[in-house]
Amino acid sequence: MTLTTPAGPPAARRRPSGFARMRTDGSLTALILFLPPAVLLFTLFVIWPIFSAVDLSFYKWNGYGDVTNFVGLRNYEILVKNSIFHQSLFNSLKLLLASIFLQIPLALVLALLLYRKTSANTAFRLIFFAPYILAEIATGLIWSFIFDGDYGISAMVANKLGTEPFYILADKQWAFWTIIIVVVWKYFGYHMMIFIAALQAVPSDLVEAAEIDGASSLKTIWYVKLPMIMHAIKLSVLFAITGALQVFDIIIPLTNGGPSNSTHSIVSYLYTFGLARMNVGFGAAVGVVLFALCVGTAFTYKRMAIDKGGQL
Amino acid sequence: MATLEFKHVNKTFGAVEVIPDVSLFIPHGSFTVFVGPSGCGKSTLLRLAAGLEEISEGTLEIDGADVTFARPIERGIAMVFQSYALYPHMNVAQNIGFGLKMAGKPKAEITRKVQAAAETLQLDALLERKPGELSGGQRQRVAIGRAIVREPKVFLFDEPLSNLDAALRTQMRVELAQLHKRLGATMIYVTHDQVEAMTLADQIVVLNKGRIEQVGSPLELYNHPQTLFVAGFIGSPKMNFITGEYASRLGVATFGVRPEHVEIVTSSPHWTGTVQFSERLGSDTYLHVDVPEIGRLTVRAVGDAALTGGETIGLAPQAAASHGFDADGQSCPVRWNAH
Repeated sequence: MTLTTPAGPPAARRRPSGFARMRTDGSLTALILFLPPAVLLFTLFVIWPIFSAVDLSFYKWNGYGDVTNFVGLRNYEILVKNSIFHQSLFNSLKLLLASIFLQIPLALVLALLLYRKTSANTAFRLIFFAPYILAEIATGLIWSFIFDGDYGISAMVANKLGTEPFYILADKQWAFWTIIIVVVWKYFGYHMMIFIAALQAVPSDLVEAAEIDGASSLKTIWYVKLPMIMHAIKLSVLFAITGALQVFDIIIPLTNGGPSNSTHSIVSYLYTFGLARMNVGFGAAVGVVLFALCVGTAFTYKRMAIDKGGQL
Repeated sequence: MATLEFKHVNKTFGAVEVIPDVSLFIPHGSFTVFVGPSGCGKSTLLRLAAGLEEISEGTLEIDGADVTFARPIERGIAMVFQSYALYPHMNVAQNIGFGLKMAGKPKAEITRKVQAAAETLQLDALLERKPGELSGGQRQRVAIGRAIVREPKVFLFDEPLSNLDAALRTQMRVELAQLHKRLGATMIYVTHDQVEAMTLADQIVVLNKGRIEQVGSPLELYNHPQTLFVAGFIGSPKMNFITGEYASRLGVATFGVRPEHVEIVTSSPHWTGTVQFSERLGSDTYLHVDVPEIGRLTVRAVGDAALTGGETIGLAPQAAASHGFDADGQSCPVRWNAH
C-alpha cells in the first residue's frame, strides 16, 4: 500500500507573497493610513531643515531677501581659518572630556553611595538632581552672580578675606573652567539618576553571592555592579557626548563667549558669529560642521562601545 | 567537614520577630534539610548561617568557633541560591573560579580547580559559555561548581531546585545526593518540597512560624510526628485528621491516620463511606471518601482500584500506624480500648 498526501494545485500550496499577505491581513491599509503623516512630519522637521542648512551654507545671506549670493565653499574656508572657531572646537572638546571623565565618574560614585532605598538617600538624590531641573539660562545667571567679582558671593568671600576682588569670569585663564564646573554641576544629577535606576535593578543575590565568594565592597563594585550597569554607563556617556557638543545657554549668561571670545562652544560660536551678526549662510556652515561632528561622534561611539558590548 | 550550631538564635526585622529562639545542632557531614511552609523562617535561618543576615540575639558556632559576627567569607561556607546567582557577564569558568580569584589564588591553581570541578559536574565542554547560553540544569551545576571549588566547611542550599522542571528536579536531586556522598561535606538545604526533604536528608528540621517543630530522620518524622503540624506537613497526600466526638472517644483532640494506613475492607468495616472521586495514578489510586460520621478521608489503594466515584466501600484504619494529638497539637497515645 502506498500512502500519499493529497497534492493540491501548486498555487494553493505556495506561500503568498509579502504584498499579497499585506493586502489580506490589513497591514497595507495600516501602512497607507499611518506612514504618510510620519514621513511628512519627519521630512518637514528633520530632513528638510538639514538639506536647507547644507544649501544655505553655500551662500552669503543676511537673512533678508532672496538667497542669491552663491559663494561655494567660502563659508567653510573662513571657518577652517578662523582661530576663534578653533578655540570653540577645542572648548567643546574640553567640555566633552570633562563630561566623560569628571561628570560621569562623579555621578557614578554618588549613585553607588545613594542607590539604596533609604529616606536620607532619597533626600540627597533630590538635592543632587535639583540642578538638572533648573533652566540652563537660570543656571547661568545664578552662577554668574556667584562668580561676580563686584556683587557676587566670590566678592563677599574676597571682602571677608581682605583680598582683592577676583573676576574669574573675566579671566581668560580661568573663565572656561568655571563653565566646565557649572556644566558638570548641572548635569551630573541626571547621569546619577540613570545609574541609580540601573543599580537598583542589579539582583541582590548577585551582590550576596559576591559577598559569599569573598569579594570586598570595592571588588563587588568592580566585578559585579559596574559590569551589570555597563549598558547604563554607555548610554550616559552617549548623552554626555552629544550634550557636551551642544552646550550653549549656560555660556551666554555666564561669559557670552568672552573674554576675547575665549569661552565659546561650537553652538555659542554659531549663535554669535552666525545668527547675531546676521551671517546666516556662515552660521549654516557652522551648523553643518556641528551636525557632522555630533553624528560622527555618536556613530563612532556607538560602533566602538555599544555595538561591541552588544547592548545599550 | 564541620559541625554547625545555633544557640538560642533570635532574629527580628524591625518590630517583626521572624525567629523567636532557635537552638539546633547540625552534625559533621550530615545532610540537613530545613523544611516548612512559606514564611516559616527556613530561608532566614539559612541566611543567618551564611552571614547574609545579622543574628539579633544568640550565637552561631561553626566547628566550635563563634562566628556570630564573622563575615561570610570568614565562616568557611558556600551557598547555592534559588536563582543560581550566576554573574551573567562572566563565562562558566570565571563564575566557578570567582571565589578563588577573590581569595588571591594563583591563576594556575584556579584553572586546575575549575577544571576539576567542571569535570565532576560534567561542565568541561561549557567552560567558555555565558550563563545566558545554558539550560536551567547546567546553570544549577555551575552554581554548585562555584560552591565546590572553594572547598567550604559547610554547603548551604537555598531551594536550589525550585526553578527546574519536574524531570530535571528529580535528576538534580539524585546528583546532589551523589555529590554529598562523594564529598562527605556538611550540607544544609532549604526546601518547601517535602519529597526533596524526605529523599535527600539524613536529618530534617521542620520549621513553623520561626520555631522548630521537630528534628529527626525522614522516617522518624514520618512514623512518629511529635506535633500535629509535622504530621500534616510530612507525607503526601497529607495525613487524615479527625476531630470531634470520634477523636474524643479515643482520648485525643485530633486523631490522625495516613491515607496509606487506611485499608479497604469488605467485612466488618470500621467506617463505611462513599467514594466521591478518585485519582488514578497507575501505581496507586487516591480515593476521596465521604464518611458520614467523620467527614472526608483520603485513602491510598495500591495499584488501580478501578473505583471512579459513587461506590460505597468499607474502611479500616491500621491501629498501630495511627496517631493522636492533644489540644495543644502535641503527640499523645490513642486509647483504642476506650473506643
